[in-house]
Amino acid sequence: MNRRRRRLASEAFGVKRRRAPGPAQADPLRAGAGSAREAVEALVRLFPRGLFEDALPPIALRSQVYSLLPDRTLADLQLKELQEQGEIRIIQLGFDLDAHGIVFTEDYRTRVLKACDGRPCAGVVQKFLASVLPACGDLSFQQDQMTQTYGFRDPEITHLVNAGVLTVRDAGSWWLAVPGAGRFIKFFVKGRQALLSMLRRAKYRELLLSELLGRRSPSAVRLGLAYHVHDLIGAQLVDCVPTSSGTLLRLPDT
Amino acid sequence: MLSFLSARQSGLEDPLRLRRAQSTRRVLALELNKDRDVERIHGSGVNTLDIEPVEGRYMLSGGSDGVIVLYDLENSSRQPYYTCKAVCSVGRSHPDVHKYSVETVQWYPHDTGMFTSSSFDKTLKVWDTNTLQAADVFNFEETVYSHHMSPAATKHCLIAVGTRGPKVQLCDLKSGSCSHILQGHRQEILAVSWSPRHDYILATASADSRVNLWDVRRASGCLLTLDQHNGKKSQAVESANTAHNGKVNGLCFTSDGLHLLTVGTDNRMRLWNSSNGENTLVNYGKVCNDSRKGLKFTVSCGCSSEFVFVPYGSTIAVYAVHSGEQLTMLKGHYKSVDCCVFQSNFQATTKSQLNPAFEDAWSSSDEEG
Repeated sequence: MNRRRRRLASEAFGVKRRRAPGPAQADPLRAGAGSAREAVEALVRLFPRGLFEDALPPIALRSQVYSLLPDRTLADLQLKELQEQGEIRIIQLGFDLDAHGIVFTEDYRTRVLKACDGRPCAGVVQKFLASVLPACGDLSFQQDQMTQTYGFRDPEITHLVNAGVLTVRDAGSWWLAVPGAGRFIKFFVKGRQALLSMLRRAKYRELLLSELLGRRSPSAVRLGLAYHVHDLIGAQLVDCVPTSSGTLLRLPDT
Repeated sequence: MLSFLSARQSGLEDPLRLRRAQSTRRVLALELNKDRDVERIHGSGVNTLDIEPVEGRYMLSGGSDGVIVLYDLENSSRQPYYTCKAVCSVGRSHPDVHKYSVETVQWYPHDTGMFTSSSFDKTLKVWDTNTLQAADVFNFEETVYSHHMSPAATKHCLIAVGTRGPKVQLCDLKSGSCSHILQGHRQEILAVSWSPRHDYILATASADSRVNLWDVRRASGCLLTLDQHNGKKSQAVESANTAHNGKVNGLCFTSDGLHLLTVGTDNRMRLWNSSNGENTLVNYGKVCNDSRKGLKFTVSCGCSSEFVFVPYGSTIAVYAVHSGEQLTMLKGHYKSVDCCVFQSNFQATTKSQLNPAFEDAWSSSDEEG
């Protein structure tokens, strides 16, 4: 019986035995963060700002938060609370329906303003940031919402799309987007594939986490090995096996 | 444990509490039973299993060669090592045997005198257990994927049948004909399930990604369509008003009927509140599902926090229903697992494997007797 089941079984009988906390985790990557907020802050620190010349706000992914907080339902709940309080925005990254990017609202605001500085759409973007962002916390916006509730006209919406703040979703609705995020998505998808192929080429299709992080990062991985490893673990694209020499990452058989 | 027993004896605690605590403990200790085995009769994959609800003693299994076998699970010999023997079977030489693979078998919910089986040969057969003859046959125009008869209903004897066509057929056992049709889905119906709480509530899952809840007395349409985003349109385009982002393969009500679990080919399992259709947003992580027809999974009943057993590749994944935590994976089969059933008296699950056919009993390590 593994540890978790034994704990649940003793809880079923109402016997609570206080055990001293075990030794600190050997892998620095797997030390769990306390709450979703701390997890997002830790992940945002992993993001390579210099790569994009500080033009992009640091983006963390929802799957990375799952890797730091193993209880997914709780993580979802806390992220939803942060979203409702307006501290973070969730962005739909185009490549996968489930892949959601998380940015802090402040970072997002400063970067967007810097990006459209001096361009003709600056005024519209500022109006958007001031009126729509605090009011509506969703991932996407509908036509009637934009025209009636917030008073944007069609040419203004086109300016917003040109500025990169909105991405067309289908006729009459738009996703919220980060200007210049295309490069990030390209690097991310390439890096994910490169890391998965590293695992595929390894003997028995598995690698110790410490060894993986210690390897020279391949040229396709621009965002950092640790960043990608969190995403792979959280998206359950690799299985995490605890061993006596640390965590082992193994590609699933299916 | 001893404190529970003495509290129960002196009347300080409800007898149910001890039962639930012990059930939970046994479910958490599930492992492959080395002492108990099931006799191998099927030559090819086993598609469906059902344990009779009255005593939990007899088990039916339906295979992809059309064979139906009845097993006696009780250990009447005094030996610890025991093979569950097949009592009788509807083999290939039987005149009434199904022509193609049997997809679903179910005992008659009130006694073991009768059972029903549905198959890819477009028929649903009602069998008399004692004589092992087909008492009635319902014919359909399309292959039958799944059928279910309500375990709790006393006022009706309807069997809901899901076929390759988009209409759910309801067949009446008493009169021997189809009573009516429920229209609303657009593609094949992969799973149907009656609510254990209300006599007339039926849930159907279809390949068009929708799960509908019906009141079968209402002619106009379904009560609810389950929406994974709970009405918030902001999430994604194609998944408006759908329960999953792919085909919905399996349905299971929890034993109290208050919640409904669905699995889909988008590798997700979702828990819904069955009274208002709200997605409870419990996140189980990735639940691998590449079955092209229905996936039969089961929920425990009688434990303090319920567990769901889902076939996951060649293992069974066990999750806690309300928290979404994955507890363990039960490994023991060599090929992919198709279905599993839970027996509440012994907290054992039996599951079956695609090819070659195998049924394994899993039980807690301290099996009594």
